[in-house]
Amino acid sequence: MIVRPVHITDLPALLTLVQQAGPGFTTLPANEDRLAHRVRWSQRTFAEQVERADADYLFVLEDDEQRVVGVSALTGAVGMREPWYNYRVGLTVSSSPDLGIQKHIPTLFLNNEMTGQSELCSLFLRPDQRYGNNGRLLSLGRLLFVAEFPQLFGDKLIAELRGSADEQGCSPFWDSLGRHFFKMDFSHADHLSGLGNKSFIAELMPRQPLYTCLLTEQAQAVIGKAHPNTQTALKILNAEGFAHKDYIDIFDGGPVIEAQVSKIRTVRDSQSLVLGIGTPDEQAPVWLIHNQRMENCRITTAKARLVGNSLIVDRLTAKRLQLQPGNSVRAVTLLNQAQQAVAA
Amino acid sequence: MLVLRPVELTDLPQLQQLARDSLVGVTSLPDDSERLREKILDSCASFDKDVQGNGPENYFFVLEDLASQRLTGCSEILATAGFSEPFYSLRNRHFTSTSRELNIEHGVPALSLCHDLSGHTLLRGFHIDAALVRTPFSELLSRARLLFIAAHSARFSEAVITEIVGYSDDQGQSPFWDALGKHFFDLPYVEAERLCGLESRTFLAELMPQYPIYVPMLPKAAQECIGRIHPDGQEAFDILEREGFETNSYIDLFDGGPTLYARTANIRSIAHSHTGTAQPVETIDARGSYLVSNDSFKDYRAIITELDYTAGQPVGLSADLCAALNVTDGSPIRLIAL
Repeated sequence: MIVRPVHITDLPALLTLVQQAGPGFTTLPANEDRLAHRVRWSQRTFAEQVERADADYLFVLEDDEQRVVGVSALTGAVGMREPWYNYRVGLTVSSSPDLGIQKHIPTLFLNNEMTGQSELCSLFLRPDQRYGNNGRLLSLGRLLFVAEFPQLFGDKLIAELRGSADEQGCSPFWDSLGRHFFKMDFSHADHLSGLGNKSFIAELMPRQPLYTCLLTEQAQAVIGKAHPNTQTALKILNAEGFAHKDYIDIFDGGPVIEAQVSKIRTVRDSQSLVLGIGTPDEQAPVWLIHNQRMENCRITTAKARLVGNSLIVDRLTAKRLQLQPGNSVRAVTLLNQAQQAVAA
Repeated sequence: MLVLRPVELTDLPQLQQLARDSLVGVTSLPDDSERLREKILDSCASFDKDVQGNGPENYFFVLEDLASQRLTGCSEILATAGFSEPFYSLRNRHFTSTSRELNIEHGVPALSLCHDLSGHTLLRGFHIDAALVRTPFSELLSRARLLFIAAHSARFSEAVITEIVGYSDDQGQSPFWDALGKHFFDLPYVEAERLCGLESRTFLAELMPQYPIYVPMLPKAAQECIGRIHPDGQEAFDILEREGFETNSYIDLFDGGPTLYARTANIRSIAHSHTGTAQPVETIDARGSYLVSNDSFKDYRAIITELDYTAGQPVGLSADLCAALNVTDGSPIRLIAL
């Protein structure tokens, strides 16, 4: 398996893939024209022909038979071309010492505070490929790419996780809040949002802070709660140092998780090493390895042995990375030490 | 005969009884002897004050049965709402959102805390014996205040407002309060209104939400209370509505009850009342019912009675009417048909 930049020839495979993902996968709609546009744009991004504000890095996960089985994306900066909105969950205190009243009322503040940060998004792995290290490779490969080219990204990486919804796809948060300002159901709004109309929709949202005590109990309960489907993705990013602070999605109340780029484990712990070919010990840890290229970016996972400044991998791994012995790579162990201890 | 006159300190015990019976939400009539005493003294001081404008004065009137000397109602005029402390209300306005791209434009009503009604003259504290509800004496108790304003317009603002008690059920539950105020206070509606009467309403208002409340986010029951009148407040509302008062976009911040507003000069009893002079007569060949006042200030009196009145002519009054109004031959009289 490798992670590499998408290419226009991947389009049919990609279309099949996103069709499997279903209508909830709004950032990559199963629409050939839109998808083709995004793929071409991504190619221009990897060719460094676009500004950071427009940068959209779309990666695919490809198996050794050159079949595309997963996709993930990374944007240069959110909110630079059109406003990027979140709610910050703040606090209002209603207090009167004389009356013995002290009420804490969580309050939602509309803001553009994530402007300029980079976003992890659009991750989908074919269900039959959800085993081994595939999910981690597809997700963390992006982080290793950021580690190699930090100047192309913001100080923080963020990810908006899908919020809690019922079986019919209805979001209690939307029903209690957004619906009143749009007169449309969540899936329609979410669809428009996926088509790139997000900021237009946001323009209709109330500008003033909102007291959460005025939302339905069901809506209050899902503030900052991720959809169960996102649990795996969330766990992977949590282990990297991502955390949910006070920001949520304005439509479904899902958490926005964030991390300082410099503090992300993959970024912080990765190092530039010289590739060597050999026989890694069977006990050797699995490494996430990047060939340090931009347009010809290849990232893979492999058992590897660290000897001084050299990372010893097998021949197939070098081939996957399109590298020769003596070339340099950026690498980090796929799991952090605590995870490795558990894995062992 | 029932006569309306300024309150006196000796009215205190009877007033307290009235306060005990008054409707929750008539917060200006607290069931608290000390507070009532202050209110009476405050009114007496207002009547003693020589002013040429509207300030913090509060004019407190009682309705007295002259035969039994029993008090059967009371009402007040606060010369200036929000003079010594902010006068809060909720403004109900549409916030319009537009998305040209999506071709959507619509307004969402939102309630915002405001002081917009500060500076207006406020009619308040209307309370009448249950036995007199929907009798002409309700008209007397309410509208005599308007004749008073007509006679002493320099002491009042150019606009007059009043807040009508909002809806609450038999158990004293206010759906509006439960959906809004309760979140910020942790107090039942009845208790909040009681505190309002006892303490300053302002410091409760200061605990209220400072950001707008979007109406569609409130429960249906609370939305239905916006501008809804408590059944017992309906009469007070009807009387003033007939006077030309109109509801507007302001509601009470606790119970959602409506606010009535009128330009002072356009109020019926002010614009259309007649002035004349008293003329003692033996008998009256009654031709119609009138609200009659003596047009004076500290010794203000108002009654309702049957009269034989022709505009431009002296107002013929029997001896007991003269006594009730405390007038003699030639005294100024103001009147309007009921």
